[in-house]
Amino acid sequence: MASLVNGVFYQLGSAKQSISEHSRKWCAVLLVLVAFTLALVATLVGLALRSYKGFGVVVVSGTFVTAGTVFLARVIASLWQKAKTLVRQGPIPFALLCGIAAIVAMLPISLVINRSEGLAMWSVIAGGGLVLSGMILLLIDGYPVFKQYKSPGYMVLGGVMIVLALVYMTWIAYWIVPYDPFEIEMGHPNTPPCAEFPMGTTSLGQDMLSRVIAGGATMLQVAVLSVIVCFCIGVPIGLLASYRGGAVDKVVSLVMDSIFAFPGLVLAIAIAAMLGPGVVNMAISIAVVYVPSYFRVVRSQVLTIRELAYVEAAIIMGARDRDILLRYVLPNVLPSSVVVMSINFADAILTAAGLTFVGLGLPVDIADWGWDLTYGFDVITLGYWWVPTFPGIMVVLLALGFTLTGEGLNEILTPKLQE
Amino acid sequence: MKDILRVEDLIVDYVTRRGVARAVDRVSLTVGENRTLGLAGESGCGKSTLGRAIMRLVPYPGKIVDGRVFLDLDEDIPYENGVLKKGEVEITALDEEALRAVRGKEIAYIFQDPMTSLNPMLRIGDHFVQILQAHNPEMEKDEALERGKEVLESLGILPERIGDYPHQFSGGMRQRVMIGLSLVMRPRLLIADEPTTSLDVIVEAQILEEMAQLKEKFNLTMILITHNLGVLAQTADDIAVMYTGRICEVATTETLFEDPQHPYTQALLESVPDVTKPDKKLSWIPGAPPDLVEPLPGCMFHPRCPKAMDICKKKVPKLVQSNNGGVVACHLYGGA
Ligand code: SF4
Repeated sequence: MASLVNGVFYQLGSAKQSISEHSRKWCAVLLVLVAFTLALVATLVGLALRSYKGFGVVVVSGTFVTAGTVFLARVIASLWQKAKTLVRQGPIPFALLCGIAAIVAMLPISLVINRSEGLAMWSVIAGGGLVLSGMILLLIDGYPVFKQYKSPGYMVLGGVMIVLALVYMTWIAYWIVPYDPFEIEMGHPNTPPCAEFPMGTTSLGQDMLSRVIAGGATMLQVAVLSVIVCFCIGVPIGLLASYRGGAVDKVVSLVMDSIFAFPGLVLAIAIAAMLGPGVVNMAISIAVVYVPSYFRVVRSQVLTIRELAYVEAAIIMGARDRDILLRYVLPNVLPSSVVVMSINFADAILTAAGLTFVGLGLPVDIADWGWDLTYGFDVITLGYWWVPTFPGIMVVLLALGFTLTGEGLNEILTPKLQE
Repeated sequence: MKDILRVEDLIVDYVTRRGVARAVDRVSLTVGENRTLGLAGESGCGKSTLGRAIMRLVPYPGKIVDGRVFLDLDEDIPYENGVLKKGEVEITALDEEALRAVRGKEIAYIFQDPMTSLNPMLRIGDHFVQILQAHNPEMEKDEALERGKEVLESLGILPERIGDYPHQFSGGMRQRVMIGLSLVMRPRLLIADEPTTSLDVIVEAQILEEMAQLKEKFNLTMILITHNLGVLAQTADDIAVMYTGRICEVATTETLFEDPQHPYTQALLESVPDVTKPDKKLSWIPGAPPDLVEPLPGCMFHPRCPKAMDICKKKVPKLVQSNNGGVVACHLYGGA
């Protein structure tokens, strides 16, 4: 399965080269993809009506109210600006402030509605509301910006929308799932999709649909954690080692290159096997694999930046190394590290899926796309196609979202490639 | 007259894939207090490398192989690991920290292209703060900005513009900012590497004029590196002519223009147009400078020299006292 998923991305990679020629066709495909994801997420979120917790509708409408407030505030603020009754800091912070105010106002409401878990519910509403607001602001304010970049811009926008939609769904999953995704024997084991279980059940009788809605959490956590760890290790090491050069640089480069030379998944498996299962351990093992990609990008950048005239001018005027690193080199390195980071997300997700596939993921009852993929792979021969298919689609969509963002940013931020 | 800078037998090599190119070959120089020394020569003659080698900032893959550079300090300079004592210090023997204390504080350097020598991401004020704080860490940001404003004002830039970004300035203005930045620490020696080459003639004239005034005001000693002999005629007190990394001739500006001794200097002057003599025939020097990776034996100018003799192909001429008070490296002189 993992290789299949990988295969899709190789295809995507080669398709990327012909973007400029087929930009129109591509945009159409992109639009369809984004629309598909959004529709899918909307449908899944719509299942809140059947939420077993009973508060699905409350949570969803709570987030919608937040997003609606942000939208309204944004529109009003821009009207104000046109009427010169300036909203001083600009419309976006104003809109967000209004959204946060709405969220705060919702705190007592959620405490009244649900005594025992009120705070938890409220935090979910707050988070989900902010993610939704983010999507809206991105559409309103981001669109004109990204439009200038043509297809890479649309790629970024589409990718981010896909990712945010999935994040939103995962975030509020707990409250909207029709059945407890962890509970076994919800229905008859291995029931094919039917009215009661629209995506069937697993062989433990868990509801597939609930698992699909809730299963992104692990993967997103692992991906975010590993990418952050990676970024925080790779970038500073790259900066320090390559700025000073000399023996340290040689040694660090050697270590990084040897890590890089390993097949990523194998190395991740080895490390994860040593650390044992768990979200943090998975994240660490993935992080180790991808540190060299940051290091290499940062290093190659630093080597060119060091030669820039204004860096030399600063050195020649006796500027401190600290100033040169933080104010001259780092700002130049950041764009390309962000690109690596966004591409890294997709890799991290696929690696996480791979880790779970070989049994280094989480315990079986936790809802996790990776797990259902693994498990479904075993039962697919028995004809239970629904078990791996739906989580598989979600993994592909999530990874696709990150890849689109990454590749798009890559083309926007590294203009050299366009020549 | 006191010597501010003394360079002794300085050698700089560039290690390239094709071999070793000697960009600066046993150069010795002195620069007296408050004098302006012009370094002249064709591009690639090593004059920029020499300027940078004085600050020990030879661009990769260059390396100072041998020789010493001395700088006279008129006060003690404290730095992180100690104090540089007043008097003569050997720059070529300083450690990184001490070097950083000298750079910008005692020797300032101005680059050729003002468009690229300011950090586009920092305001002009931040540049000033950065330099001032690098040399005295206790200085408050506001005080540093005040100092910056003063300097800008003395260069004819509105002090309010200290909050602007470099891209908001024109080329000439940026070069003024660069000059301001290099002077804000009150250095004793200013090395200017083709400071006006990328500017148009009118701005060039203004900036040269301003630099001359600043030199008076700040008691500066200057090294002006340029290929433009016209600029040197206006500004320099002494001129050193370089060819293929070696000094050919050093003399006061007047003597050099009136009575050039070295055949290369003569040829160089022949090729400069002169408005006072409109019917002067311009000449050029036939041939091209030799490849530094495969240096010629003897005087490197001999294939292009109209007065070349047999000995020129075998023996490297030494610098000797010439009849007009300067020094010259040519077998025609010094009773060779
Ligand atoms: S040494 Fe000989 S070749 Fe060199 S400049 Fe003098 S005369 Fe010409």
